[in-house]
Amino acid sequence: MSGTAADSPGGARREHPTPKLKSLRIRELTKWFADTAAVRGFDLEVAGGEFISLLGPSGCGKTTTLNCVAGLLEPDEGAIEIDGKDITRLAPEKRGFGMVFQNYALFPHLTIARNVGFGLEVRGIARDEIDRRTARALDLVQLGGLRSRYPGQLSGGQQQRVALARALVTEPPLILMDEPLSNLDAKLRLEMRLEIRRLHQSLGLTTLYVTHDQEEALSLSDRVVLMRDGVVEQAGTPEELYSQPRSLYVANFLGYRNLVPVQVGEIDGDVVRAATNGFRFTGTRRGALAVGGSAVATIRPKDVQVLASDPGRADTIGASIELAEFVGDGFEVSADAGSGQRFIARTVDRWSAGDRVSLRLPPERLLVFPTDR
Amino acid sequence: MTAPAARRSAVESGHSFARRPRRRFDPSLLVIGPAVLFVLGLFVYPFVYGLALSFQPYADNELNGPLGSYMAFFGDARERLSIWNTLKLAVPATLIDVVLALPLAYRLRRPVPGQRVIAALFVIPMTLGTVLIAEGMLQFFGPAGWVNKTLLLIGVVHEPVQFLHNYLGTLISLLISDFPAVFLLLLGYASGIDPALDRAARTLGASWWQRTWRVTLPMMAPGVAVAAALSFVATFSVFPSAVLVGNPAGETRVIAFAAWQAAYEHFDYSEASAIAIVMGVIELALVAAALSLRAGGYRRLRAEAGR
Repeated sequence: MSGTAADSPGGARREHPTPKLKSLRIRELTKWFADTAAVRGFDLEVAGGEFISLLGPSGCGKTTTLNCVAGLLEPDEGAIEIDGKDITRLAPEKRGFGMVFQNYALFPHLTIARNVGFGLEVRGIARDEIDRRTARALDLVQLGGLRSRYPGQLSGGQQQRVALARALVTEPPLILMDEPLSNLDAKLRLEMRLEIRRLHQSLGLTTLYVTHDQEEALSLSDRVVLMRDGVVEQAGTPEELYSQPRSLYVANFLGYRNLVPVQVGEIDGDVVRAATNGFRFTGTRRGALAVGGSAVATIRPKDVQVLASDPGRADTIGASIELAEFVGDGFEVSADAGSGQRFIARTVDRWSAGDRVSLRLPPERLLVFPTDR
Repeated sequence: MTAPAARRSAVESGHSFARRPRRRFDPSLLVIGPAVLFVLGLFVYPFVYGLALSFQPYADNELNGPLGSYMAFFGDARERLSIWNTLKLAVPATLIDVVLALPLAYRLRRPVPGQRVIAALFVIPMTLGTVLIAEGMLQFFGPAGWVNKTLLLIGVVHEPVQFLHNYLGTLISLLISDFPAVFLLLLGYASGIDPALDRAARTLGASWWQRTWRVTLPMMAPGVAVAAALSFVATFSVFPSAVLVGNPAGETRVIAFAAWQAAYEHFDYSEASAIAIVMGVIELALVAAALSLRAGGYRRLRAEAGR
């Protein structure tokens, strides 16, 4: 816990403490609730020092997976190994992981100092060492002055910092976080996000982080595991997921908000020509498509170009602006291209409802996926 | 600019909100009338009447002034003993019920298979009333009842145990009739405790024993204090079971029975009222003690709830 690394978040990747964990392996993890599989055949290997996010909408099995790793749920099949040791059936209190909960789960009847020191107290560590380590953990999350308060007297952000300190104080090999920021307001969430990443780096932690927020997952993680209905849809670095979504589902989750059902006209390598309702598109092929079959073309709002006049090119569509929303660094507009087909676009220009425009959909940014199952 | 103007008007309207509305009689308040009459007629009046009566001693007691009835009660060793007899029943019954109901309530605080059936079974005694329970006990715990038969069969005892018409009979009856209320109160309290606390304690390395002592019990303490206080009040006024399955001439001559005897055998309503007041004072004292114990922990929890 040296102070220098902590003082320069995101700074030079120098001298990170060696992670206490060498590897976490989750193999073929399956968990049933009644007759539905919350998680099915989940595989993941985590190296020491990694920050891994499990991303997905509610009910996708990410929290179930986390709880299995924590030991709070017992998987029906599969194995969890830490440094090659099988811990699948080990009680959570014997695993020694740190866990941060969505609702903080601080003990309301204990002071902040005793909350943080809880994990040390139950290990029977000497009083003066508990005091020393508790104070250090509280300093780490910048709450040194609140040690004798009660959780009820703290704000949500402060409570989550305490929860973080409580999970870190035992110096666990693995930190598990279950949507730790989702109860905080937008500003605090950004602040805490930096804080979490800073602690992860400066303390050499290995972190498994559950979230439904794609921005959070992309910004924090070394690798993101996107889940859907209990299975892994795509796993990779944030850059990979963002620029190479493997399926329509992943694309949609990562900001491809414009979805156009189309019919595939012509396939030429990775270039696909498709049509719908009289519009023609040229896009980039993703996945197996059949000529004449149906598919979905998708593009991010920021990649849709809004032009005042029709340049007469093949990749433009005439549309009229329906709504324009100011979003700080520009406008988000919704444009009707006729036949009920709407496009959302990000633009820096001010448009108002009723304006006739042309939308340009750059072929390299327009992805054509097979229709989702 | 419009923004500061808007802000100013918001401040002004804030002021007008802060100003107290003029006090005017709200006719809808009349709906509480029946309830007020009910409380006045059926609670306040009898209480005040009894209190006044207790200071108007009858016959011989009159010579001792307004406190004559109280002096008669406290001056008689047999009468004084009724307080002790009642405490001897109420305190153990309360403690045993709380100790039995606490783990059950905590265990059933989250849905478990058959929870409704289990909860219903525990609540049934409450619907039966003490008299029916006592009637049932006369058979069940009698010398030829199932309990004694079973005990004899498995060889725990060699002759029937005397369960009825003594201290034990009354205590068992109180345990049965009082358990549901304690259980339900604790269940309500336990289900309000965030289950994430237990999970947090587990991931922090706390064993079952450590979680119980460091998290569960401290969290349950305020609920336990309330349940114990209410249970104590209920058992302290024990009357039917002390007569039906107890020994009202001896070890279960409880204070309510003493009051009944004063009123309906000696026709001394003043002394009966005095005994009832003594009963009330003792109950109040113990409830106050339980609630003040609770207050320390409660204030902290309320500070949290206030956020």
